[in-house]
Amino acid sequence: MESLGEEPWDVVICGTGLQQSLLALALSRSKKRILHTDPNYYYGQYEAALTLQEAESFAAKHAGGSSEAEKKRSVVRNAAVWKPDDAEAQGLKFPRAYSLALAPQIIHTKSKLLSSLVSSRAYRQVEFLAVGSFFVYEPAKDGSDPKLSRIPSSREDVFSSQSIPARSKRSLMKFLKFVLDFESDDQKPLWEAHADASLTDFLTAQFKLEDDLKRYVVALTMALDGKASVRSGLAAINRHLTSMGMFGPGFCAVYPKWGGLSEIAQVACRAGAVGGGIYMLDTSATMKPSGENEKASLELPNGITVQADSVISGQETTASVQAISRLIAVVKSPLNSLFQVLVEGAPTPAVAVVALPSTPSPIYAVIHSSDTGECPVGQCVVYLTTLATAGSKHELEQALVMLVYAVEGEDSTSPCLYQLYYEQALGDRQSTTENHGTTPALSFPPLSATIAFEDSDLEAVKTAWSLVSGDESDEDTYLVFEDREGADAEDEVYE
Amino acid sequence: MADSAGAPRPSSSVKLVLLGEAAVGKSSLVLRFVNNDFQENKEPTIGAAFLTQKCNLPTRTIKFEIWDTAGQERFASLAPMYYRNAQAALVVYDLTKPTSLIKAKHWVAELQRQASPGIVIALVGNKLDLTNASAAAAGGNSEDEDEEGGGGAAGGDGGDESGDARKISTDEAKTYAEEESLLFFETSAKTGHNVSEVFTAIANAIPETSLKSTRGPGASNAVSRGGDEQRVNLTGPRGDAAKDSCAC
Repeated sequence: MESLGEEPWDVVICGTGLQQSLLALALSRSKKRILHTDPNYYYGQYEAALTLQEAESFAAKHAGGSSEAEKKRSVVRNAAVWKPDDAEAQGLKFPRAYSLALAPQIIHTKSKLLSSLVSSRAYRQVEFLAVGSFFVYEPAKDGSDPKLSRIPSSREDVFSSQSIPARSKRSLMKFLKFVLDFESDDQKPLWEAHADASLTDFLTAQFKLEDDLKRYVVALTMALDGKASVRSGLAAINRHLTSMGMFGPGFCAVYPKWGGLSEIAQVACRAGAVGGGIYMLDTSATMKPSGENEKASLELPNGITVQADSVISGQETTASVQAISRLIAVVKSPLNSLFQVLVEGAPTPAVAVVALPSTPSPIYAVIHSSDTGECPVGQCVVYLTTLATAGSKHELEQALVMLVYAVEGEDSTSPCLYQLYYEQALGDRQSTTENHGTTPALSFPPLSATIAFEDSDLEAVKTAWSLVSGDESDEDTYLVFEDREGADAEDEVYE
Repeated sequence: MADSAGAPRPSSSVKLVLLGEAAVGKSSLVLRFVNNDFQENKEPTIGAAFLTQKCNLPTRTIKFEIWDTAGQERFASLAPMYYRNAQAALVVYDLTKPTSLIKAKHWVAELQRQASPGIVIALVGNKLDLTNASAAAAGGNSEDEDEEGGGGAAGGDGGDESGDARKISTDEAKTYAEEESLLFFETSAKTGHNVSEVFTAIANAIPETSLKSTRGPGASNAVSRGGDEQRVNLTGPRGDAAKDSCAC
């Protein structure tokens, strides 16, 4: 233990959130001396996957609200867990049978996160599952039951759709064709002048899309405020369409089994350890005041002080007022009809996405089957997200009941075996840097709390990598590694 | 990585994880098994993420995917993904160092808590070459594969006048192993004594039923509806390379 403090570390990384962990992966072949700590006894921080027991301590730790007087607010607040009194009798299993993902983002197959995991050889230890259908919730009307309508999400899909009239199909096809190369010089004139206007209005004016189809398109943008601009909306739809089929038929996004981005953080940290990094969970490193010409010092809980040439951490507070509300619910039925294979040769999807109309902003429900390893067979985990307002917790609970009713067709006022609720700041989107003595320190912004993983969250990781690597940095080597030695024993057989 | 693309892999893969106190010789045991090699004064494990080795049994071939701790055990910082789907574990102690058996018992408990219920665990007392029991023990030179880089392990314990540095009797460890239904061996990674026997015994102990799929029965809460067909391969539709051996 004493040896920790003797020599200065090249880098001390505080926190094992996704961005810190990817930095550790990026530095794993650099021969730098890296100390990587996390105050929790699990990996992943705000991207962790929690057992029910861990969810309880997470909720206790983040139960506080944000008083108006506070300028800085904690990233996660108003957390609470709930379960029915007879949850176990209704089927709730032991706490470790669950793995609730704090970062359940789906990852588009085109995402740079996936290509970085492949080029860095870290992908092999992660099991990726397919994200299947996207649905829009249709409320009951004219005596018909509420239902989920599947959004056709490829041109083939539109062709074969029974529910869209022929005339509408033509305008939709025209729109899809346009989106596929909306950034080309041919298409730009059509939308650039309206780039910041509302996508809905643009769809009406330019493509004469009917209301139903517009709702499909807007739902697919996965904009949490439901008001995508033309620019951001077209980019989102383009990502959706061009991601389709990249790693196999029938899906445009994947999800890491066992708890989403938590799994990627763990694999990246393991790569950091394989490269020689020292890992200490349950350890908070606190910055000590340092003189102008000194290196930064950090104090570990056991009284050891370490010095660092650079310090990378995550922002613990934010000035951002806007937040999302998230309800993670363990549901006592598997909702199997959401996970059907619709294209021949497609993998069985483990994730489905449902957009529920709501005011002032829509609610997105992302449903994970037990194939994700997040709950026992016969149950599923539903992640509901909306922009936080005073009443959003209640709205999410209502939305869950509506969703389960629309799928199961029978009334269940309490479909839930367990739930974790919290609000998470949308963050400031910018990393912050400051100097502690001679040591530069960078803090990552909180990850985008969006439905789909945003590649823009990776930019800060590269900034941090350049900062730490300094003059040695060669961009071509960023997250591009050979397989490690030892993988070649393949043909030797020990008799 | 692409050279063996598409080659058939008739053998069953078994994920085996290593556990044990720093500097007991975890990596050395694997190095002996995989490369039939031993390095004196080996540095703490860096760069070894993952090794593979086939083990031929009369009726089947087992391909071990051996995961090293990468040092994450030192401050109790192993991630759940390390234990996940492990079908076998090698819990190693240094039979010249009493605290290492205490630590080994801790790891056995941790495996019983975290890993798949059917996991095969082998308890291995290493550094037999430092005791009288080993005919092969070369006197004097202690087997110092100090994984901790100065963390005070085998070095000082090695040179008993009698040449016997054993501190943990075979009976003591064996009794414990029997109580917990563990396989038990005393080995020397340095001389190679009993090393292949450990892996063969593990291979034999893995139930046939858990070999059906390439990934085994899954972790405690893993109960898959679909098997492997729902896995997505990131190197292309139904691509190759993914089944190839791997490192970080």
